Parts: sequence; structure tokens; C-alpha cells
Amino acid sequence: MSKRYETVKHLGEGQFANVYLAKDLESGEMVAIKKIKLGSREEAKDGINRTAIREIKLLKEIHHENIITLRDVIGHRTSIQLVFDFMDTDLEHVVKDHSIILSPAHIKNITMQMLLGLEFLHAHWILHRDLKPNNLLLNNMGRVKLTDFGLARFFGSPNRNYTHQVVTRWYRAPELLYGARSYGVGIDIWSVGCIIAELLLRAPIFPGESDIDQLVKIYNVLGCPTEESWPTMKTLNSYVSIKPDSETPGLNFIFSAAPQDLIDLLIGMWTFDPVKRLTCTQSLQMDYFKSQPYCCLDEELPLPNQKPPKRTRRLEEDGSHPARRLIFE
Amino acid sequence: MAMNFWKSSHAQQWMFDKTEIWKQRAEDMKTYSEDEYNRLNIFWANFITAVATECAHSQANVGCKLRQQVIATAIVYFKRFYLRQSFRDMCPFLVASTALFLACKVEEHTTLSVSSFLKNTALVLPKRWGVTFETTSAKNGVLYDSEFILVEILDCCLVVYHPQRPMVELLDDFRLYTNSSASPTSPLKDFESIEAQCQKVINDTLRCDVGLIYAPHIIAISSILVAMDLMGRGEELEGWMVEVDVDMEKVADCTDQIYKMYTLWRSFDEKEEVKKLMAKLPKPNQQQMTQQQQHHHHHQQQSSSGYHM
Repeated sequence: MSKRYETVKHLGEGQFANVYLAKDLESGEMVAIKKIKLGSREEAKDGINRTAIREIKLLKEIHHENIITLRDVIGHRTSIQLVFDFMDTDLEHVVKDHSIILSPAHIKNITMQMLLGLEFLHAHWILHRDLKPNNLLLNNMGRVKLTDFGLARFFGSPNRNYTHQVVTRWYRAPELLYGARSYGVGIDIWSVGCIIAELLLRAPIFPGESDIDQLVKIYNVLGCPTEESWPTMKTLNSYVSIKPDSETPGLNFIFSAAPQDLIDLLIGMWTFDPVKRLTCTQSLQMDYFKSQPYCCLDEELPLPNQKPPKRTRRLEEDGSHPARRLIFE
Repeated sequence: MAMNFWKSSHAQQWMFDKTEIWKQRAEDMKTYSEDEYNRLNIFWANFITAVATECAHSQANVGCKLRQQVIATAIVYFKRFYLRQSFRDMCPFLVASTALFLACKVEEHTTLSVSSFLKNTALVLPKRWGVTFETTSAKNGVLYDSEFILVEILDCCLVVYHPQRPMVELLDDFRLYTNSSASPTSPLKDFESIEAQCQKVINDTLRCDVGLIYAPHIIAISSILVAMDLMGRGEELEGWMVEVDVDMEKVADCTDQIYKMYTLWRSFDEKEEVKKLMAKLPKPNQQQMTQQQQHHHHHQQQSSSGYHM
């Protein structure tokens, strides 16, 4: 590695990188080091993976407390190692760990941190394009950070036609499912709505098994879009007419414990017409954030496998905290 | 891209004053005089543009014309690289090809096969400058390494702010101003030719160091000034220039450098002089050669499994 960082252990191997837990000997902090590898000889023809290039390029320019920080870059003749904040866990683990109770104040805090990070990205003309619970990292200070910018890119650039094959299906907005080639911030907001729902339900809200099934799952909950609610729908490349399986029970029934202001937020984020969908800034101004219970403090957010009250800096003290998940897969 | 320029890696890490730039080039200044280096600056930009343009002509890449922005980014990468390294550290032809390759990816452009840029180098150099070039010294394996080296030397700063975008906005403002009643001059005639001339000047600024010294909007305004002057229409700017809120001292200095580059370019007989300049180019140092050869050898041994780091 490098003299500054002492490798603690190998955390895992992803598609184009190995990730290590290491100690920054200068600051004493734990960091995650992502070592980008050249793939097979066939892949090596294209040099550094485009996904890695996108990630490096964007993270080098953006600095926000709710976005993962690229702390350092270590170069060798044949490899590049990216040094990131070490994050203890991610929202997917939190959602799946049923020993954790997420209170309304916890969910409000997580939602707000998520939206603040995303608002910053959008203000800088960057779409994340792959928001999902395991791309939202959480550290032991209760800080939520957006990660995995491998699909992210600047929008509004001259080549405006993007691929619609972005965003893991369950979190994909309907315009993408209909093959829209030109889209905007709405696709990320849709995903945020799905993540909030997942925090409430502790299971994905729209677990579609195919693109069509994904639309059916959405319409079963939200009803079908109409000419009136989404005028441009029929102009999309792969538009098909879909009928829901059943009567929609309504969001108030599905989220029976949720207050009306939270339901209103979800309705705004799941507006079919992308033009009318809430933006991050509008979302942050919704009544939900102005009503009780207010956001909890960051440090009150629960982490998996840890006793709630005394959970301060165990990691820094002994450096042996089990890494729940890696920053990147 | 509407990121805040002043917070960008470009502004924070890659803007220098003139003396700093020459200090960083100290190693190569043992080989070349400042005047020669300025000529080289013109040559490298012409050369990189030629390699990129050649792609559009070759059979394999029909329809794959590199956008000007990709070329501009590649030239900036090249210039930044040789602030941190000397010609002896890495062959500039290899760096140029790698810079184009990386710029294609960063600007979300179609990737050209990595070797095609080197092939074009071997084509373009003798044709335009009478310089011979052997591609064998830069086999693919080395080229992959060179991308890692380039990214490292650039300290991962891949987003480059070009003056084109602020120029479009400024020209728009200029046109609106001359149309307004506040303007002492009459509305602009033949706006298209002004735009074209400005575009040309802005591309030419890549042939000097202003991109390493000034923010894009300074270069944009200076380019507009130079372009209007070259068209003999400088006085039409007078009213508008007073209204524009900008550091005029910097604009004056930037404009001066652009004029100096044009003067030098006019006296630069590329066909004759490049050969001599290239003959003086330091050979890559021994250590690197050995590593390249080792790597090449290693590559041949592992025929199908790829190589690991």
C-alpha cells in the first residue's frame, strides 16, 4: 500500500476493485481503500474501467458531508488506490436487521440527510442514477453518505440521450421503465421515495421481477397514470398499456402508522409525471420536516449489532469493529 | 456543467502564475530554451489535434469524429502532465495518445482502440512534420500502464473547465447589450462570423499557457477581444467592455499572451523546426525502459489470464 496507510484486512472484492480496511497512520482514522484492478486481458484493452473513471472524476470535484469523501489517491505504476472514509454499515443492513427499531424520528433524520446529499448533487448538475439502500452508507456517528458514483454523470451535457438501463429495477422511476432516454432529477427522487417506504415497511415496496412486473407493482400501489396526470407518457419509447392486478388500497392503508405529512411527501416523490414530481429542495420544504416528532440527532441513529446507549468511538479505540459491508460492491 | 468553478480541482490545484510554471518545467529547460518550449507548446497542440482528426479519416473509425472538447481536454492533460514530469520521464507521443484516450472516456465519448492513436501518430508525424516514429516502443501493455500513470500524475483531477461555455454566455450578453438602448454602438452585424472567429481564437489559446494561469471566463473575454480585433471590429466592444465586471488587468495580460503566441506561431516554420526540436528530445530514462520491457515480457507470458497488479 503506502507508508501512510496500514492495511488491516481485505474487506471484499467487487467487479473492478478490491477493498481493504486500513488505518490512516497520520490521523489515526480508519479508511476504506479501494484498489482498482485491471480485469482480464480483454477488459484491459479499454484501460481503466469507465465506471471507475466516472467515480474518480465526480468525487474529486464534490465535497459535502452527506456524500462519501475521496480522501486521497495513491498511485503506483500499475494501479490506483482510492482512499475513502470508512463507513460502518449501510441502510440495506439496517433495514434487514430486525433487532433494530427505526422510530419516526430516525426515519426523518435519515430522509433528511439523504435529501441534503442529493440536493447538493443536483445543484451541481449531477444525477446519481443508482440510489438504493446499499448505496447509502452510515457511520458510527450517525452520518448518512451517498456512495457509488459509478453510474452518476453530469446532466445537461451535449449528448443528452442517456441509457435508460440505470437504477436497480426496484428503485427505478416509471419513465425509465418506459425507456425514456432523456430524464432528469426526478429519477433520483423516485428512488428516495422507494427508500423511505423501505425504511417504513422494512421490505422493498415495489419488488418487481421484470420491467413490466415493476410497473404492475407500482400501479398496484399508486393506481394507473392517466393522460391527464402524465400527458407525455404515451410518447415514451417502450410505452405499453398496463392494467393493475387489483384495486389500489391507497398509501394511507399501506403506511397505516405514517402521519399524513409523510404520506404527502411520498405522493409528491411518486408523482408519475417527472415534470411535476418534487425536487430535493421542494421535498426538504414539506410539512413533514416541520412537524413533530422532529429529526433525532445523528448520533441517536441505531446501528446493527450494537448496544444503543454506549456506542461512541469503539472503532477508533481498537480498530477491530467488524466491517459490516464494504463501501463498494 | 454548472459546478462552482472556484471550488473545482481545476481552480484549486491547476492554476499557477507564470514563474511557477517555468520553475516546474526546470528539468526540460535544460534541453530547451523558453522560446523553444513556447514553439513546442504550439507543436504539441497541433500534433494532438492532428492525431485526433486523423481518426475521422481512417477507415476503421468512420463517423467517429472527436469533439473539440475532447481534444481540448486531452491537450490540457498533456500540459498538466509535463508540469509534474519531464520529457525524459515519459515519451510525449505516448502521453499524447494516452491523454486522448483518457479524455474520450472522461468526456463520455466513444472509446477508440488504444493503439489507433499511436498508429495515427506514426502516420501524422512524417506526413506533416517529417519526423519518423516507431510505434514498437509503445506497445499496448505499456499504454495501459500509461493511463494509470497519467491519472496519477494528474492527481485524479479529470474535470477540466474550458472557456467555450463562458464564451457563449458572454457573446450572448454582448449581443443583447448592443441591441439595447444603453449601447453607444449600433446592434451587431454578422454575429455568426464573430462567433466563428471567437471559437477559432479560443481553440488557439490551447497553444500557449493561458489555460494554466487564468480562469475560463478571463480566457473567454480575452479571446473575444482578440477575435474582434483580428476582424478589425475592436471598437464595437467599447461600450460593452465597460459594463462587464471582470479583472481587466488579468484580461490585458491574457490578451497579451495570446498575441505573443500568434506572433510566434507566424514565425514558426513547423516543417523545418519540429525535426530539430524533436532531435533534441531526451530519450526516456533507462529505468523506465527496463520496466517497460519487463512488463512487455510479463504480458507475453500470461497469454490468456490477464495480468494482475
